Amino acid sequence: MSGPADEFRSVSHVEHLGDGLLAMAAGVLAAMAGLGGAILLVPALLLTGMTATSAAPLGLVTVAGVSVAAGRRQLTSRVVNHRIGVTIELVASAAAVVGALVSGLLGETFVAWMLAVVALAAAVIGARGRGLRNPPDPACEPSDVGERIGALDGAYPLGDQVVPYRPKRVAPALGFMALAGFIAGSAGVSGGFVKTSAATEIMRVPMKVATATTTFTVGVTASVALIVYAIQGRIEPRSCAAVLVGSLLGGQIGAHIQHHLSPVAIRYLRSGLLVLVAVLLVTR
Amino acid sequence: MSATESADRPDRQPIPAGAVSSIRGRRQVPALQWVVRVLLVLAALGAALPGTAGSAFGAAAVAVLIATPLTRVAWLTFRWTQESDRRFVLTGLGLLTVVGIGAVLSALGVGR
Repeated sequence: MSGPADEFRSVSHVEHLGDGLLAMAAGVLAAMAGLGGAILLVPALLLTGMTATSAAPLGLVTVAGVSVAAGRRQLTSRVVNHRIGVTIELVASAAAVVGALVSGLLGETFVAWMLAVVALAAAVIGARGRGLRNPPDPACEPSDVGERIGALDGAYPLGDQVVPYRPKRVAPALGFMALAGFIAGSAGVSGGFVKTSAATEIMRVPMKVATATTTFTVGVTASVALIVYAIQGRIEPRSCAAVLVGSLLGGQIGAHIQHHLSPVAIRYLRSGLLVLVAVLLVTR
Repeated sequence: MSATESADRPDRQPIPAGAVSSIRGRRQVPALQWVVRVLLVLAALGAALPGTAGSAFGAAAVAVLIATPLTRVAWLTFRWTQESDRRFVLTGLGLLTVVGIGAVLSALGVGR
């Protein structure tokens, strides 16, 4: 799985610990806000002096780790819509393959600016909404909770109440999912921040469903990208292991906190994080 | 903010029609719980042990990590088959096919 040893930086246990702690922090925030995690971890690792080539696989390990770790809690909360997830992931993964194929043609500065602009746009769009956009329906019963066979519709529990939802404008939203996939393939992040924004702002999927479903889908994106990196010999197993421990712990903590947050708080948290990421990317 | 707080732009959706899917995570939840435990052990050993042993445990952790989301998609596709949900069976199969194509293109060195 690993390439020649001299391709990788020589790391001590202290550096492993530092990478693991950064991954845990990224995992907590990613699971809470419906971001992949790489968009938070990779800029942080770059600030520590790591090269982009080394940081990208670690970012994707964090994404996959958070997805697996948060999955149990989010499934128990009945907020994941697998049919929406697989639908958007089909488009995103196809675009990710294209992005990976052309990534060599794109300069690092262009990719950084592309990420920053998209992150800032997602932050602004997400912060515009106020209040609870998808209110509970008193007519709904607990037995209504779940996905609908043959459709993207569903209902999720919010406290003691049930919120029904029906995704709108699916076709244009899938265009943005393709953009998310292209970003994932070309920049080595999961594109989760674009997916969540498109799901909430275009498809009008409730925030909690969008964040949990995105957390599920970015795990698939990260797996695909990690397969590519493994084939290319860009995986350093011991560094990945340290980051994985952090992201698994962080993902579980983040999913637990997210369960207790209101949809409005999640929306503002996500927007704040995206502004921070955009600033980091541009100023780096 | 509570769930019942007034909304600036309430967007109440109709109660969805159609049958509720029986996929409620009854198998996925315990499976994911075990995967997380296995991953934690493998990754901790990979980070702590020096040399080849650490690399072997780290590589095993990454392999399990890569396989988990894809196995989840395959499992969902199988469950949708049981629910006779052809549209989403095709979507799931399409996704797995795209993943396979990406891996093959990468192995062939395309785009490197």
